[in-house]
Amino acid sequence: MNKNKRISLALASIATMTVCFESCNYKPKNQGRALYNQHCSSCHMENGQGLGELYPPVAKSDYVLANKESLACLIKNGVSGPVTVNGVTYNAAMSGYPQLTQNEISNLVYYILVELNVQDDSYSFKEVKQQLGQCLISQDES
Amino acid sequence: MLAVSIITACESETKQLPILGPTIIKNTVVDGALIADTTFGAIRGFKFWDQDSNVITENTVEGKLYVTDFFFTSCPTICPKMKQQMLRIHDRYLDEDKVVLLSHSIDPVRDSVQRLKTFAEKLGVQTEKWHLMTGNRDSIYSMAKHYVIAAQEDPDAPGGFAHSGAFLLVDTKRQIRGIYDGTDPQEVDQLMDDIQFLNEQE
Repeated sequence: MNKNKRISLALASIATMTVCFESCNYKPKNQGRALYNQHCSSCHMENGQGLGELYPPVAKSDYVLANKESLACLIKNGVSGPVTVNGVTYNAAMSGYPQLTQNEISNLVYYILVELNVQDDSYSFKEVKQQLGQCLISQDES
Repeated sequence: MLAVSIITACESETKQLPILGPTIIKNTVVDGALIADTTFGAIRGFKFWDQDSNVITENTVEGKLYVTDFFFTSCPTICPKMKQQMLRIHDRYLDEDKVVLLSHSIDPVRDSVQRLKTFAEKLGVQTEKWHLMTGNRDSIYSMAKHYVIAAQEDPDAPGGFAHSGAFLLVDTKRQIRGIYDGTDPQEVDQLMDDIQFLNEQE
């Protein structure tokens, strides 16, 4: 290996390190988990198991799987009125999280589907963006 | 021989729980000098109503250890975790008559007896073990102050109220023996160890 090659290799690895600081630790589920802990775990609990008949589970949840495509809208706009999850009816209103960005919602949906509901895959950023574009206007906004 | 002495040494460190309150400052004048003495009083009397409309007073907890906190049913932040942890204590001491739980709602306008009843049922609570209480607004807030637990109406806080997530352990003399973070499972483990300790001590 000649000197020039070695220098350029060193420079390349420094460049890689710099890029790594930005993104190598980045995994959708890491941000998804952090967002989940911050916004969802108070009610849905740390492993998504829910609490009694007060707050429904979002892990191993038939409701989540039946409403996969509307999860993004549900997170953004909240939900009210009774919902039945794994055979139990819950009736606590969930406020929406309109402050979350599309990417954040996308990562949160990833965490809920892949990590908490053992799905093979989630939606791409583009698909979540499309889903969000088709949300029914929430009552707060109308 | 060494091992025996180490074991003995460990055993001789007996556990003690401090008395944390409520404190009473007693001022006396001795030889012209003011002497301030701190003594410990008991939690004062109270009167609230639980989820089955039972009147709950200091007589309800007579001769018992109790754990108490302040919450409200529509609280979107720390309360569900507090209730999850309180439920652990409820389940563990379900058959132990000497332990009772008192939760005060700081939102008496919305948290009616009926609403507390529904909440308790959905949580799977036995009324005689865990009293979810409502009552006169001023009585509730002054009781929080008496326990030195922060609780206030705050339009800027999520749900409209700001309050501490503390659990207090109160002994049979109605003295506070421990303060724990009711959202932290490890602190609640400690609380249950301390209940065990007080139970054995008495």
